[in-house]
Amino acid sequence: MIKVSSLSKTFTSSIKEPGIKGSLISLFHRQKQSKEALKSVDLEIQQGEIIGLIGANGAGKTTLVKILAGIVHPTSGDVKVLGFTPWKRPNEYRKQMSLIMGQKNQVWWDLPALDSFLLLKEIYQIPVAQYKRNVEFLAETLMIKDQLKTQVRKLSLGERMKIELMAALLHNPKVIFLDEPTIGLDLSAQKAVRHFLREYQKEFRPMTILTSHYMEDIKELCPRVVIIKEGQFVYDGALSKIQGVLGDEKVVSVTTQSETFRIHVPRQDLANKTHQIFQEHDVIDLNIQDPSIEEVIESIMRTGVHTT
Amino acid sequence: MNWWKHVMLMELRKILAYRSDFWITFLGQTLIQLLVARSLWQMIFASEGVKVMNGYSLEMMNLYYLIIPIGTRMLSGENIGFVSREIYEGTFTRYLLYPISVFQYKTLTYMTYSLFYGLQLFLLYSLYRLFFTTSSITVMDFSNLLLGVGLFLLASLTYLLMAMLIELIALWADNIWTLIVMLKFFVTFLGGGFVPLTFFPALFQDILRWTPFPYLIQVPAQTIMGMSQSQDIFRAIALLLIWALIFMELIKIVWKRGEKQYTGVGI
Repeated sequence: MIKVSSLSKTFTSSIKEPGIKGSLISLFHRQKQSKEALKSVDLEIQQGEIIGLIGANGAGKTTLVKILAGIVHPTSGDVKVLGFTPWKRPNEYRKQMSLIMGQKNQVWWDLPALDSFLLLKEIYQIPVAQYKRNVEFLAETLMIKDQLKTQVRKLSLGERMKIELMAALLHNPKVIFLDEPTIGLDLSAQKAVRHFLREYQKEFRPMTILTSHYMEDIKELCPRVVIIKEGQFVYDGALSKIQGVLGDEKVVSVTTQSETFRIHVPRQDLANKTHQIFQEHDVIDLNIQDPSIEEVIESIMRTGVHTT
Repeated sequence: MNWWKHVMLMELRKILAYRSDFWITFLGQTLIQLLVARSLWQMIFASEGVKVMNGYSLEMMNLYYLIIPIGTRMLSGENIGFVSREIYEGTFTRYLLYPISVFQYKTLTYMTYSLFYGLQLFLLYSLYRLFFTTSSITVMDFSNLLLGVGLFLLASLTYLLMAMLIELIALWADNIWTLIVMLKFFVTFLGGGFVPLTFFPALFQDILRWTPFPYLIQVPAQTIMGMSQSQDIFRAIALLLIWALIFMELIKIVWKRGEKQYTGVGI
């Protein structure tokens, strides 16, 4: 189980005025600024549960994941994952945990994936039979069998992400942190990764925290969501409770001869509303999208769904 | 500890993965440095009109500069930025996630390079002595060669710790490139990588004897050439080990501070 109590993290960085004057001054004196990435958050996750952590850029979701994975030390508060304090990094904990980052590579670029897997087999002391079974299962489910002997740097972004997933799951972790696993992937690759994650969750029942900017990821994989805004949880509860905002609403962007505007439209009214727009305006361009994470959060705040 | 073997084999595969890079560093770089040094020292010896300068004949100087390029490459192991580059790129995070010691991992990868270059040094020096040297001033002796390469390996370990100390500052500092370049320059200069230390003032040489520098480059090179006495070799081993222990203690302090400030940049 994961238990987070009153967890806070403050980052300090130096700031510099723009221009050459600012650069010269910074040689002698630098101003410091602090940013509270997490403000006393609490969270509990049970074995087998998968939660979606959503928030705008800079909201604090990656900081939380980094602390839980043991990469970053918190400023205050307490965390226990499987009974371990993550940032002390005991090997027993690291053997049961995995962090997958959508934009960062953990396998070795200069080598074929199978070479990296063999090393990971030794590092995690995976028994031969389990290693063979897992490589087979993961490669099959991810449909990446033919690329395992190709140098990783020569693979496409989607293929590399699948290799990253394989590398991170070879040792059957009990806790998985997925930080934007579908970022930058095309639609079919996103779909394949989502399908795989669903199958893996069904098969092995790990505790999983998923952060994503794509609402599709959250809707398909996470029965429970935590929404984080400026370092604080603004919602922690069932996805179904906010399904209206996540799934039933579309954003229509309209450009006419004289103006550009955006409106939120319930899904069931979409056909009528667009018809009405075409009748009332001289439309040049019309675009229908899912609401952005920022808009979803704003909407949830507006409709008054609060932390459970 | 089976992963040790796998890490070393994987590094070896990485070294051999790029064919042109391998041949350019093995032969190209070594031969160019040797030819430049050879023509310079030929001119110096000719203008001074002497056969021996500060204990070195022209032929010994040639041998010295054959050893130095590969010897310094052994010392530099995985090359500068082997930790800081990964910290800045964000890939350092993987060593914090894997259930192994980051220091063990980095030492293994570094020493794989050193061992590989050590083998190159062994081969190139043996071939050169067999086919090109005619002098009887220094006698080709495989035990000296083995001892010298062994000293270079120990020196690589000490230098690794020295470099690690600087590299880990990247855990909180935005740019440590200048520090790394300065370290490399001082080690090469004070270790006898540019000119043998016998060309330095006597007082300066006496001071240097208590630092790790002469034992990183000059003493191993001289050992290969059969110019070192056994007491020089023992002193080199003792001082390299003492300095290695000092650097290890300093690394513990830097790591303790650094890991708390590490932000996992790039992720």
